[in-house]
Amino acid sequence: MTAKVKSPQVKQRDLGKIIRPIFGALVAAYILWRLYNVFIVEAKYGPQVWVSLLISGLIIGAVYSLIAIGYTLVYGILLMINFAHGEVVMLGIYAGYFVFEAAKAIQVPSSLNPELVFADAYPALSIFIAFIIGMGVSATVGFFLEKIAYRPLRKAPRLIPLISAIGASLVLQNVALLLFSPQLRNYNNPTVMARGNGWKMIINETPVNVPYTGVFTLILSVVLMLALLYLVRNTRLGKAMRAVALDKDTAALMGINVNHTISSTFLISGALAGAAGVMWGLHNGQVFNTVGFIPGIKAFTAAVLGGIGNIPGAMLGGMFLGLVESVGPTALGISFQLKDVIAFAILIAILIFKPSGILGEVLAEEKV
Amino acid sequence: MKKKVLFSLVVLFALVLASCAPAAAPAEEAAPAEEAAPAEAAGDDPCAGDWGCAVIPAGETIKIGMSSPMTGPYADFGVDAENSGLLAVADFGDVEGFSFELIAEDDEGGAEGGAAVANKLVADPTFVAMAGPLFSGATAAALPIYEAAGIAMVSPSATAAFLTEQGSAVFNRVPFTDPIQGAGAAEYLFNELGFTKIAVLHDGEDYGKGLATTVKDEFEALGGTVTTFEGVTVGEADYTPILTTIAPDAPEALYFGGYSAEGAVLANQMKATGLENAIFFGCDGTWGADFLQNAGANAEGSIHANTRKPPASDALDSFSAAYTEAYGVGPVVLSPFSYNSYDASNMLMQAVAAVAFVGDDGSLYIPRAALVETVRNTTNYVGIGGTYSCNEIGECNSEGPAFETVVNGEWVVLQ
Repeated sequence: MTAKVKSPQVKQRDLGKIIRPIFGALVAAYILWRLYNVFIVEAKYGPQVWVSLLISGLIIGAVYSLIAIGYTLVYGILLMINFAHGEVVMLGIYAGYFVFEAAKAIQVPSSLNPELVFADAYPALSIFIAFIIGMGVSATVGFFLEKIAYRPLRKAPRLIPLISAIGASLVLQNVALLLFSPQLRNYNNPTVMARGNGWKMIINETPVNVPYTGVFTLILSVVLMLALLYLVRNTRLGKAMRAVALDKDTAALMGINVNHTISSTFLISGALAGAAGVMWGLHNGQVFNTVGFIPGIKAFTAAVLGGIGNIPGAMLGGMFLGLVESVGPTALGISFQLKDVIAFAILIAILIFKPSGILGEVLAEEKV
Repeated sequence: MKKKVLFSLVVLFALVLASCAPAAAPAEEAAPAEEAAPAEAAGDDPCAGDWGCAVIPAGETIKIGMSSPMTGPYADFGVDAENSGLLAVADFGDVEGFSFELIAEDDEGGAEGGAAVANKLVADPTFVAMAGPLFSGATAAALPIYEAAGIAMVSPSATAAFLTEQGSAVFNRVPFTDPIQGAGAAEYLFNELGFTKIAVLHDGEDYGKGLATTVKDEFEALGGTVTTFEGVTVGEADYTPILTTIAPDAPEALYFGGYSAEGAVLANQMKATGLENAIFFGCDGTWGADFLQNAGANAEGSIHANTRKPPASDALDSFSAAYTEAYGVGPVVLSPFSYNSYDASNMLMQAVAAVAFVGDDGSLYIPRAALVETVRNTTNYVGIGGTYSCNEIGECNSEGPAFETVVNGEWVVLQ
């Protein structure tokens, strides 16, 4: 009996072994053929186009990375996907929006310019306040989200908190709809950081715009990611987080306060989401109640791409996804409406060939 | 065990029945429109035919529907349409002692919402006519449902060409159509502005893509070059990659078929992607207060299509005054379709008044087939936005668009 049961399994695995490389080779051949067409046969775009696309990709990738870290941290510790994370980002975007509205409304008349407003008089300070408040709001939302929606379900089967997360996401979207109306609003950036302004880089006799908001986004997100890595690797809280991720019960026996550690994880992932939100607002400008949905889904994809539960993986996955989305359609010479298809096709390919993601699925021990 | 088998058999039978029942109806639906006679043509029963009569019991209102996006990025369109429709209902008054009521539902401008609203409304037996839907995508999805229920429709703004080309008996519209607008835009770009090289983008929706395709074909037919024809994904906040790849061809204008949310993002990012010398050329979907607010200084100099300014009349003045008083803004600020919505609701209510009669039981009877036919036969209806005569496929307007540009944050009509 046992022998009979085993043999078809072996056969199936063999089939998979044959099909996968063939599938992979076909995909690779298609990509190479398209790249050959675009770069060598058509050669339509000069280097300035590619540099410009790379810049867009890096900026959006940096935002994805920060959001993806939130997914990965929570997954590493609770083994659940926090699908309300995009809404945490959305509330951070709103918080920043209101700070800039206030900063534009407060008058600080000077002798030179009687119409001067706070945001233009102290742009660095108003941006700093926007980030502090945006991160604070998002961290608070993340903290209470865990307390209300996830903690009562911690012992429940793994699907239950997932459904609770989707419910929380809908609730937050509609709370924002009621509070802030469905109207689409625009970030009121300080004048020096106006969207679209930037350094002009001359490549191939064509000016390429390097937006201030983009450079700022990229630098700040790298700083925040390094700070997070330091926190997880070198502090007591980080050690506790890694221990809880490895084994909750044993960690509790060793005197680690598990609830406190999980709450801290939600605070940290919320704060990063808030920072990503304010960056998103400064760079892209749009705010409405479902603005967090698309970056949330993309960042989740990025987290899975890099290996969910793995912090450097989330950073890498976010950057990779941003670049693919930005450069992909042009490099493959296909329609821009298919850019999400490219992103998700890559996700499927990664899941087929390396189901644990690019860097593997880890958070405990060497996970970081 | 036996019970279970029996039960599942019963369930299966019920399912088969349920799936068969509605399939039979649409097969004959087109016929009654031509056969049914108006109520006044005495003799035979006006309520005969598949659609029958809407019966409004004494004390109930006659329901006019409105299906429009009232939340989300296109909410301004829906709010404006509802405002205008409410004024129309308030102005029209009673029919045989029965008053009208406007039921405005949110379809979010999309196909799913359009179908959901249609299913919800047709379940109400006192619902007789639809002054919408506003968007072409929602209309395409909802049309079969209204058609099956015999609901007379006049859309104030669904402009996709194919909507009237499917042989629908119930669907009519008062805006200029996309082919007319597209041809007008291509001609304006080529002849008036003297451009020979443009890029064309669209949002991939029924309305935007149809319009963009017309502009591309017409512009090329005139002898111009279209450097890029591409779709963008709806709801994104960053279109710099696609704009970057357009820039090396140095088009003189960027035509966009779509709505103001995406249009404003494109107009904003053109300045930072090497397209600062190209003109943003939008359509009647990008026209409106939303675009001015979201594009700010980047809106200056952009060109958009809009309905022609209506001829001056007392009705227009009193509508404008009532609108401003009730909602704090003037008409045609939130969207270009205020007058159209008002006229569409009025055309429907006038048709209802023409066919409705009070039965022996004191209820109001509205023969649906006669109503559908009366709306289709509208001739020389003088509305506040213009004079409408519906042709045999339901086009009630043959005027072309006017083009407007933005100067110092205000719309200015171009000659």
